[in-house]
Amino acid sequence: MAGAVFYDGESARRRPVSLNVTRSAIDIHEGAEWIASWPSAEVRRRDAPDCVLRLTREGASSLARLDVADADLQAAIRASCTQLEGPDRRERAGRILVWSLAATASILLCVVLLLPILAERLTPLIPVSFERRLGAAVDNQVRTIFTGRVCEDPRGHAALGTLVARLQAAHPGGPTVDVAVLDTRVPNAIALPGGRIYLFRGLLDKAETPDELAGVLAHEMGHAAHRDGLRKMIQAGGTSYLLGLLFGDVSGGGAIVFVGRYLVDSAYSRDTEAAADDFAGRTMGSLGRPAHAMVLLLKRIEGKDDGEGGNDSRIPAFLSTHPVTDQRLKALEKQVPSRSGEPLLDQQEWRALKEICKTT
Amino acid sequence: MTLPLLADGPAPAPSRSPMAFSGQGREFMNLLIAGSLFQIPTFGFYRFWLITRLRRHLWAHTEIAGEAFEYTGTARELLIGFLIALAILGPLYIAYAILGILLEETYAFASVPLVVIMYVLAHFGSYRARKYRASRTVFRGIRFWMTGSGWPYAARAILWDVATVLTLGLALPWALASLERYRMRNTYFGSIRGDFAGTGWGLFKRVWWIWLVGFAGLLGLALLVVVLTFLSPGRRALEAMAVLLTLLGMALFPLALAIVTRWRVEGLRFGDVTTASRLRARTCYGLFVKLVFSALGFLLAFVITVGLVGFLAARVVKDVVTASGALSWLSVGVGLVVAVGYLVALLGLGILQRYFLGRGLWVAVVASTTITNLESIDTAVAAGQPAGVLGEGLADALDFNVGL
Repeated sequence: MAGAVFYDGESARRRPVSLNVTRSAIDIHEGAEWIASWPSAEVRRRDAPDCVLRLTREGASSLARLDVADADLQAAIRASCTQLEGPDRRERAGRILVWSLAATASILLCVVLLLPILAERLTPLIPVSFERRLGAAVDNQVRTIFTGRVCEDPRGHAALGTLVARLQAAHPGGPTVDVAVLDTRVPNAIALPGGRIYLFRGLLDKAETPDELAGVLAHEMGHAAHRDGLRKMIQAGGTSYLLGLLFGDVSGGGAIVFVGRYLVDSAYSRDTEAAADDFAGRTMGSLGRPAHAMVLLLKRIEGKDDGEGGNDSRIPAFLSTHPVTDQRLKALEKQVPSRSGEPLLDQQEWRALKEICKTT
Repeated sequence: MTLPLLADGPAPAPSRSPMAFSGQGREFMNLLIAGSLFQIPTFGFYRFWLITRLRRHLWAHTEIAGEAFEYTGTARELLIGFLIALAILGPLYIAYAILGILLEETYAFASVPLVVIMYVLAHFGSYRARKYRASRTVFRGIRFWMTGSGWPYAARAILWDVATVLTLGLALPWALASLERYRMRNTYFGSIRGDFAGTGWGLFKRVWWIWLVGFAGLLGLALLVVVLTFLSPGRRALEAMAVLLTLLGMALFPLALAIVTRWRVEGLRFGDVTTASRLRARTCYGLFVKLVFSALGFLLAFVITVGLVGFLAARVVKDVVTASGALSWLSVGVGLVVAVGYLVALLGLGILQRYFLGRGLWVAVVASTTITNLESIDTAVAAGQPAGVLGEGLADALDFNVGL
């Protein structure tokens, strides 16, 4: 036997054949009977175990196969059929790489350049009622992340209400906000789209005066007034959706989770923070209270983080939401109130607010 | 191990052809590592090429009596399938998200109806994906192919899922038998129709005690937790129960896998062709032990490397940053390093899983299978067409596993 088996692609019959390999073609004979001649240029290799050379004919309509086990025959075929691997096999890996890099680059360009513009333009067009609905969706996420109980001690709640009302009174026609305290040790505060603001108990614990807390609140109200949360949500949602597409997650199921985390963890740009600081400064100034108190609180938190090794806080010092506290301190110290206003909360209210998470 | 030579009754004893796997583990591992690394710069796009190369390797080295299978699918087809799935699912999700917000759903995006749609699509897609893979499988120049549509299959699968849940898993053997029968009776090798001879009762007789042990274990642990919470309130008991349950599952799963796989292989029929399997539970346990220990070893090495690099980097960077205040760039850099590290860990675990479970199980099944009456397929005549790629696309997009 010549060490070759032919499968005609019409039936599963094994046909032991003899081969005659020439420069121009492979002639296939079964016994004395001629079966086929495959032109050398059309012969292609197909997958097979290591010791077998499996051939097919390019452009054939059936799945005809020729399995060659004989080593000499294999060598002869490799010598005469120069296009066994097909015309363009070499380039393939390179082309995949180039096109995926192109797709990646285009998506990254969208993320870096187009999405911020889109977010900027889209934000003023979105009605407040819709923003509130978006906010509700994110709100659920945030609460899941922090397995958050909302603190609702009645007296603390009343004190918080008083504080928020005073701050809002400084900006008639400003955004309506809805402030709540989440029972988690992370010292942070976030403004969600739609005016929902969360103070985290960790922040409350570290605040020493009502002014410090009021400053942070006013800062977050600044974010709400500028609709920064919505803008960031459009950006983060778009980003994670686009990146998810790349990785095959069409659902965007990851997107909403990502948005939730992003809103909590990531930083606004320095300009955005400065604008919110400015808002806070004006608010505090018009109430006659020192604006820089809030930065003292931030500094205290950062200092604590370094000392305790970050186990207490989920936010590593590197990625901290608020950049370079000293610069902000200077900016805020410039906004000295022209007159001194009365304290925002009295001693009793302040104590109640500090203990808002204590009972029930 | 020697097989007892059975005197099989009447004169012409049926021929027995052993199956064999001729591929080298190292070659497969090289494919896996190179392909996985290539996925990083290509943002995962290379997965279609990787899967195709893995399948080609497995098919080409799987032999019956020295004749190897061939996989004729291409990565381009998988890519197209993914794009089609994208075209179907993308608008669906966006529409759903908008609807969710408009209706002010409490859970907006991830809500029940969407999960139901995805669940139905998953069953539908798994059938279509099998159809695709069957019709890209060639043996002796003849194509395997499948009839039947994904929807009736999905309907059956869902009804069986309901039954399985309602009977606390007792109906599972009958569910597996019914679905396998549906799949195999719709599978053809050229003109020869497949069938499945395994029965639910046959499987039940082999696995009922595993179910009993699992169920007793669950009940016992639940009881233990109740007692413990009375003695010392806290979440400790629940955590302990989760750990113990995982261990119990890990102890029983390889056994169940071996029994079910063997039952599956032994039920396969193509005309007069029958199969026999000698797959042993020991083999499956071996694979799982290797997987678990290699994964632990990999994670340990990974953590040590990350720790060392992080420690050194922090020492170097600390002075620079405090001097220049380049905090935002640093945070970008750290984020990037974390992302790449995460990817490497994920890909590494994926490689181990595909190597030990994907390839390992494949090789174990092939090496333990014997085909009887192989010569009867000589009469097979070419038939059937290559099936579409939607199923594979859905499988990729919805992220359910249809095999390698």
